[in-house]
Amino acid sequence: MLKSLDPRVNRLSIPDDFEAPMAAKEQLDQFETYQSFIQTKEGKPFEHAGTVHAPNEEMAFLFAKEQFSRRGTFCHALCVVKTELILVSEFTDNGQDVYDTFKGSYSGDTSASFEVFHSVKRGKHHKHIGTVEAKDFEDALLASKETYPRDKPVFNVWIAKSEDILMSDEEDADIWNTLKEKKYRDAIDYKAADRIKAFKAEQG
Amino acid sequence: MNQNAIKDLLYKMADDQLILGHKNSEWTGFGPLLEEDIAFSSMAQDKVGQSWQLYKILNELGESDPDTVAFMRNAEQFHNSQFVELPNGEYDFSLIRHFLFDTAELIRFQMLAESSFETLANLAKKIKGETKYHSMHANIWIKQLGSATEESISRLQDSLDKSMPYALGMFEVSEFEQDLINEGLFAGEEALKAQWKTKVTEVISETSLILPDMESITPVYGGRYGKHTEHLQPLLTEMSEVFNVDPTADW
Amino acid sequence: MYGGGNVFESMKATALAEEDPIKLAEFEARIDRGEKIEPSDWMPQLYRKQLIRMIEQHGHSEIIGALPEGTWITRAPGFKRKLALMAKVQDEVGHAQLLYSAAETLGKPREQQLEDLISGKSKYSNIFNYPAFTWADSCFISWLVDAGAIVNQIANSKGSYGPYCRALERICAEESFHLKYGHHCVIHLATGTKTQREMMQAAVNRWWAPMMHFFGPSDKISVHSEILMRWKVKMASNDECRQQFLDMYVPKIWELGLTIPDENLMKNETTGQWEFSEPDWEEFKRVINGDGPCNKERIAVRRMAEERGRWVRQALLAPKAKYVTPLA
Repeated sequence: MLKSLDPRVNRLSIPDDFEAPMAAKEQLDQFETYQSFIQTKEGKPFEHAGTVHAPNEEMAFLFAKEQFSRRGTFCHALCVVKTELILVSEFTDNGQDVYDTFKGSYSGDTSASFEVFHSVKRGKHHKHIGTVEAKDFEDALLASKETYPRDKPVFNVWIAKSEDILMSDEEDADIWNTLKEKKYRDAIDYKAADRIKAFKAEQG
Repeated sequence: MNQNAIKDLLYKMADDQLILGHKNSEWTGFGPLLEEDIAFSSMAQDKVGQSWQLYKILNELGESDPDTVAFMRNAEQFHNSQFVELPNGEYDFSLIRHFLFDTAELIRFQMLAESSFETLANLAKKIKGETKYHSMHANIWIKQLGSATEESISRLQDSLDKSMPYALGMFEVSEFEQDLINEGLFAGEEALKAQWKTKVTEVISETSLILPDMESITPVYGGRYGKHTEHLQPLLTEMSEVFNVDPTADW
Repeated sequence: MYGGGNVFESMKATALAEEDPIKLAEFEARIDRGEKIEPSDWMPQLYRKQLIRMIEQHGHSEIIGALPEGTWITRAPGFKRKLALMAKVQDEVGHAQLLYSAAETLGKPREQQLEDLISGKSKYSNIFNYPAFTWADSCFISWLVDAGAIVNQIANSKGSYGPYCRALERICAEESFHLKYGHHCVIHLATGTKTQREMMQAAVNRWWAPMMHFFGPSDKISVHSEILMRWKVKMASNDECRQQFLDMYVPKIWELGLTIPDENLMKNETTGQWEFSEPDWEEFKRVINGDGPCNKERIAVRRMAEERGRWVRQALLAPKAKYVTPLA
């Protein structure tokens, strides 16, 4: 058995012959991916936080909550959406508004609801800009082009159907209320300058 | 307020949260998938954090400071249920224990939010969000794995069968049970157990798992009175290994 | 936690000649303007390959880095340390998750990245192949290994690839907690009882050589560096990072009355550079190639975690699920 300094590892009883090449790993680590968006405060726009791998949206939500908002004070609401259900526009170069590349005009059809996310600077996270009603994704881009005036160019747009987004319930917002004693996760909780000073004084 | 009764209640809760949080933290870095590794660690931290708060209340009631209480007692001085001190085993057991324990945890703290002991009621209210997430997490996992593959179902079933006598042991009544109820401090283990059974039955019924007949099971009692399995003392010795290098030192 | 000393793929002189010169010029112009490259942009194959390599090594270093400190997770003394260490090790796992996602946007699925880790094909930071004998070792890692990683990561967060920069921003913010926590622990040991002081000094003695290796060999000889620097893949040389680390942390170590086991270590006031005994690069190579004290254990533990989790992932896998590369 493998002997470790870590008592947890010893309890795993890892056989000594692990050196033998492992049989090819089964392809099991590749779940669907979900994009997560976080609202830091009520009224603020949702902002892209990152990706989680999960077998379904409920679990994606569970995972995203701890991966992207475990320092709970910075979160009010969270939503996840399956990556393949997001329409991604081209990424333009700085200076060119991606909306200028969309030809045609909005149908005026309001049969479906879509959430629109913009990137206004390369390197920055996408932010939720609003909800539009349209007949399909292409139409939603055009609706968005008409709806949102832009004083600065938008470089990339993501669009998802509102119904495809799993959003935290308003009544569950308290899952981000944590004990104030959670400060142990933050740098601010570790002050020891006095101790160093006292030590130096003692050393002369 | 009956001090002995409230202390007994606080100790058993704090000890449960500490020991299970400690056990669950063992999974950090070894979890079955990255995202779950992170989620499980958060819940372990919540439990240890909650135990700390409970020991602080005990400290206000005249007991030693939390670090001393947690790191210096021997197994027979602990009041946790035996359920929480069992080894982690495979993820199936850890998950079933998480489900059975955290379902009770959620209800217990909901009940305590109404306690006549205001300090405890306030704490219960403050951690509502944490316990809600724990229960949400447990239910989703049990529903998922409890109706997935033949292997996952049979693993969960075995762990459920193995766990049930210990899980029922969580509700061992205190010698002060009647005082707690009479003074409105806590509605009591029997009331908690009844609500717990309903919730557990409800979740299990949505899976392919079969809930063991709780009426015919003899609960494993003793933990609340300091009687433990052979697993607790080594756990405590390990936990306090560094602390005990010099208990008076500031670490 | 990652300190550079990256193992880059060897480059063929012809590699760039095969790229479309117009697109290549646009790509380089964008980087020169200080704009970020995003996943759907055109990029030279070489850029993609080297970035995948670098980000993946960084991800592996996080997940393997969780193990030496994890050695003390069940034994941290007192509530505050216990909670902080749990949170810190958790953060490292979280960082691996973020970094694997960033590498995925370049086209290498997480499955493959994990496979390459446990098959031993991919590298990770050498320092995690050393054992954490005592609590003080874990404190050294939390403070100084993280400090070294921050030097490297802050430099890299100004690089050219959008998803990597975003991941690093988040990582650096969390590492500031690690750094403060680690410093706090070391201060308490160094200014504590005799036993605590001795424990801490012994840890410094053990970890100093791996710490100097952490930033990688001197890169003045590297033929790869020039183009990787121009493309803002590599943002600071190994030597620059090492110097910056020494400059920031040696005085902080000394002020605690701790000694550093290198009698040649001193700042040359004329050049402004730190001088030190040349690290043993033969040992560095030996450890990177698998012969360190803990290489086997680290990989074995990851494999074991993989094995024990297999039934869980199998049960979660939806037969019709379709993997889609993360967006950003």
